[in-house]
Amino acid sequence: MSGAILEVINLSKHFHRPRTLLSPLNRRSDVIPAVDKVSFYLRPNETMGLVGESGCGKTTVGRSVLRLLKPTSGNVIFDGRDITHYSDNELRPLRKDMQMIFQDLDAGLNPKMRVEDIISEAICVYGKLSDAEVRVKSHALLDQVNLKYSKLTSYPAELSGGEKRRVGIARMLAVGARLIVADEPTSALDVSIQAQVVNLLRDLQKQLGLSYLFISHDLQVVELMSHKVAVMYLGKIVEMGLTERVSGAARHPYTYILWSSLVEKQSHEAPRPARPDRRASSWGVYDFERPSRGCRFAPRCPVYQSLGRPAECTDPDNEPQLRDVGEGHQVACHFPLIS
Amino acid sequence: MNSSPLLRIENLRTFFYSQRKHAFVRAVDGVTLDVGRSETVGLVGESGSGKSITAMSVMGLLRGGPGVIGGRIEFESAHGRQNLLEKLQAFVEVHEQNGRVMSVSKDEKGWRKASERIMRNYRGKEISMIFQNPRTSLNPYMTVGGQIAESIRLHTANRSESEARERALYWLERVKIDSPKLRYKTYPAVMSGGMCQRAMIAMALSAEPSMLIADEPTTGLDATIQSKIVDLLEELKSETHISTLLISHDISVISRLSDRVAIMYGGAVVEFGPARQVLDPHEEARHPYTAALIDSVPSQQKIRDKSNLQAIEGDVLDTINVPAGCRFYDRCNRVKDGIRERCATQHPPLQEISSGHHMRCWLFAKG
Amino acid sequence: MKKYIQTTVDVVDYSSLPLVQKYALADLLYVAYGLLIVMLVLVSYFAGMFDMLPHDPQQINMDLLMSPPGTDGHLLGTDFMGRDILSRLIVGIQAYFLPGMLAISIALAGGVILGVPAGYWGGRIATCITYISNLVDSFPRMVLILLVIAAFKPDIYYIMIVMGITGVPAVATAISNKIYFLSQKNFIEAARALGLRRRVIIFKHILWYNCRALLIIQATLGMGEAILLETSLSYLGFGVQEPVPSWGNMVQSGANYFLQGNFWPSTAPALAILFTILGFNLLGDGLNNILEDRRGK
Ligand SMILES: Nc1ncnc2c1ncn2[C@@H]1O[C@H](COP(=O)(O)OP(=O)(O)OP(=O)(O)O)[C@@H](O)[C@H]1O
Ligand SMILES: Nc1ncnc2c1ncn2[C@@H]1O[C@H](COP(=O)(O)OP(=O)(O)OP(=O)(O)O)[C@@H](O)[C@H]1O
Ligand code: SF4
Ligand code: SF4
Ligand SMILES: [Mg+2]
Ligand SMILES: [Mg+2]
Repeated sequence: MSGAILEVINLSKHFHRPRTLLSPLNRRSDVIPAVDKVSFYLRPNETMGLVGESGCGKTTVGRSVLRLLKPTSGNVIFDGRDITHYSDNELRPLRKDMQMIFQDLDAGLNPKMRVEDIISEAICVYGKLSDAEVRVKSHALLDQVNLKYSKLTSYPAELSGGEKRRVGIARMLAVGARLIVADEPTSALDVSIQAQVVNLLRDLQKQLGLSYLFISHDLQVVELMSHKVAVMYLGKIVEMGLTERVSGAARHPYTYILWSSLVEKQSHEAPRPARPDRRASSWGVYDFERPSRGCRFAPRCPVYQSLGRPAECTDPDNEPQLRDVGEGHQVACHFPLIS
Repeated sequence: MNSSPLLRIENLRTFFYSQRKHAFVRAVDGVTLDVGRSETVGLVGESGSGKSITAMSVMGLLRGGPGVIGGRIEFESAHGRQNLLEKLQAFVEVHEQNGRVMSVSKDEKGWRKASERIMRNYRGKEISMIFQNPRTSLNPYMTVGGQIAESIRLHTANRSESEARERALYWLERVKIDSPKLRYKTYPAVMSGGMCQRAMIAMALSAEPSMLIADEPTTGLDATIQSKIVDLLEELKSETHISTLLISHDISVISRLSDRVAIMYGGAVVEFGPARQVLDPHEEARHPYTAALIDSVPSQQKIRDKSNLQAIEGDVLDTINVPAGCRFYDRCNRVKDGIRERCATQHPPLQEISSGHHMRCWLFAKG
Repeated sequence: MKKYIQTTVDVVDYSSLPLVQKYALADLLYVAYGLLIVMLVLVSYFAGMFDMLPHDPQQINMDLLMSPPGTDGHLLGTDFMGRDILSRLIVGIQAYFLPGMLAISIALAGGVILGVPAGYWGGRIATCITYISNLVDSFPRMVLILLVIAAFKPDIYYIMIVMGITGVPAVATAISNKIYFLSQKNFIEAARALGLRRRVIIFKHILWYNCRALLIIQATLGMGEAILLETSLSYLGFGVQEPVPSWGNMVQSGANYFLQGNFWPSTAPALAILFTILGFNLLGDGLNNILEDRRGK
């Protein structure tokens, strides 16, 4: 994809259960396919939302993209360079341009260092500056993330959640990154603070032209932040496209259920008009998983149930692949919903 | 309904003590609310506002001192009305200075004994609780069914093993766990989060209590499963007519299930009234905090326009250094010249501003 | 009746409190006492160097055998050869200190060299290191020491090398557990994502900021242990040899006269051992609580 800052092609990451002496005895497979053949691209100044339930591999995608993990297969192309096989030393200069906001508020905040040390360390990673320059720059960063200068002398334990998040963002801005993987940046925060952080991230994008890979399970925030959305289910992207299409005209049963469960929860807002689809009448999702072959969603898929369990869905050789259904909207399902 | 509520909490105060700072953590300081029969009352507030501690105070399950130091918790059961904190005054001595608690003496052993004696008749039998984290509140070494059957034998007339088993299966089916017979024998570790939550609900309801306290029943579950648990709670509400105190920070869950809502900020209830009135964004009389909280959630309109969210400026309240005036003063955007003085220096009382609608704000203060 | 008191209306920022309020009094006292013991080490070396000991520790005085404390300027009396006990006690510090330092250095250096890779990379390296640790751990330390003594000669430095090596697994495990704990919190990954060099991550963030308390406590505990080992072996005659004074051989030589009513030649070094080991252990405890910001309950 020309002009893309990040391109991910068929990325897979399999984890291995630790091998023990008795491993050959138990017949469980030792491989956890956390991410399986995921492809997408991200343009400068663009936000892509990545949603899906817990454990579906969102964080693993983010970590592999930044090469904090070594992908099992596939390619990660950053700024035109294939960084899939770069070593740590080769990656270090690139880290200047790509950064991560971790799900965990405390990540990267050394509990024994003051805020000023944390920030000045980040400023000096790529070139030593004089003390005065560091001070000017760290004040500018604090202004950017709306943090009081008085917090510079605090230790991380003395900061509130929102402040920790801001320090994390300031640290990331200090190196001047252009691509940012934001892993659930708001989920560990209080309701009243979430909006501050969302606004901050949006403003920074406008000012600095950042690109975000925005991982979250808060669908409303994703809808607000993102230009396009990818929905993951058990390690695979099942639907991807412009935000309005994915949220408003979902074609994959899982996406549809995901968004309608959001609407169901908010009865005080006007419910969306029911979809003209007879299959949707008695839909439910089961909160259990059975191993499946073919389409991974089949055990929970209402379409599969209502169509009388068609063989295509569970055919191991015919796992549904992402197909374009118009205007860059891609769906991996044999029987996509009629929009 | 208001004439004789099932549960009535009045001006509850639960403090903790920080060894490190030699200071009180004012976890709950001024909670007043009531739950009527077959009514669901929502308790909303951000993390650390004291929701769980309120619930634990009602259940008498607190750890750490000094714990409950004041207030009333009235509960109505078949044996009449009882204040669960009946003898508390005898065990606690509180010294205040300029309206601020500076020292507390409490005979903790004595109080725990007295409280246990009272709570024995209520906990699990009359009031059940679903805890914030379902996975850790189930015993990992006992089968799910076994745990439910045990609770049934403990709290209901079904004493025999087979009877209890029957009832347990009934409740597992009731909370829509698929193939209950199979699940009866599984251990919590192999069940998904949603299933554990269902099992917890089954266990809480199996004692057939008159009141259920649900502490964040959907937090930490996946979006699709959250809505299923909410469905289940809604169904149980309309079928069993159980009274529920529903704790959550998810306003959409609360608005769907609650008849009345109490909003907490910094350990105190700041607004309490009918859900429709409290949560309606177009309502005139709203507490500034409630209003800001609801506006900060991304609405369909905001998403469509891609506009910035309405954020509440400032930071979450420090429960140790609670300001002398209104606790929301630093972040409030509705302070007017006429009341600024009072907002900054006096803690507003919880007053009824219209029938059944209580408010803790000088903007609406009468007289 | 339990009483809780809030002392000030507005609770000040914790980090700006004066030392005495910030940390538990007990911890401060522990550290103060421990530092006093460490000071004595310096006193011992300087006194030896500048000839400021009350008496020559080796000078035999046949006129003053077994004199009780206070006799003729001998503050703690003299031993069976008329040597000044106080001076011998002070010099006796040197018998444990450098050998102890050697043992500690070996244990810490080995622990860091093995523990950091085990915690940082995990996987196969960690497994190997665990196996080695278990191997070393499962070998009785005393047997090893006696073997070394038998094979070479009864020299305190050989013994301390053995002690250092056998101390490696404990330090390595503690460090690798700490690093594992840090990596659970995405700490190391975040530092890598920032682009920090591995060297900086390991030495600055892991070892300096997060393991220093652990290393200090291991060092002080190790010193206590070294004293115990040195004195017991010297007592048995395997460690420091007469006439060089060591608290162990002093207790031993004094013990022969204990039943005759001359208790000071053995009691004085025994008490010195007790209070010194206590001092190092308390120093470790106190420093640990202070550095880890843990207030005693
Ligand atoms: N280091 C690891 N070793 C083994 N398995 C792992 C490892 N990291 C992740 N996994 C597994 O990979 C799967 C995907 O994990 P991942 O953290 O990417 O999920 P996620 O979508 O980010 O979930 P959440 O919303 O809970 O953060 C999970 O099943 C997880 O157990
Ligand atoms: N044992 C304890 N000792 C000291 N402080 C405590 C103790 N338990 C709770 N607190 C404090 O009491 C306050 C209220 O806690 P509580 O658990 O009720 O919050 P919550 O509203 O349930 O929040 P959340 O949404 O995070 O569950 C918090 O500031 C907390 O730190
Ligand atoms: S392929 Fe079949 S089972 Fe899978 S989502 Fe589509 S309809 Fe459902
Ligand atoms: S009392 Fe004053 S500060 Fe408090 S919420 Fe009302 S207007 Fe705001
Ligand atoms: Mg994740
Ligand atoms: Mg809680």
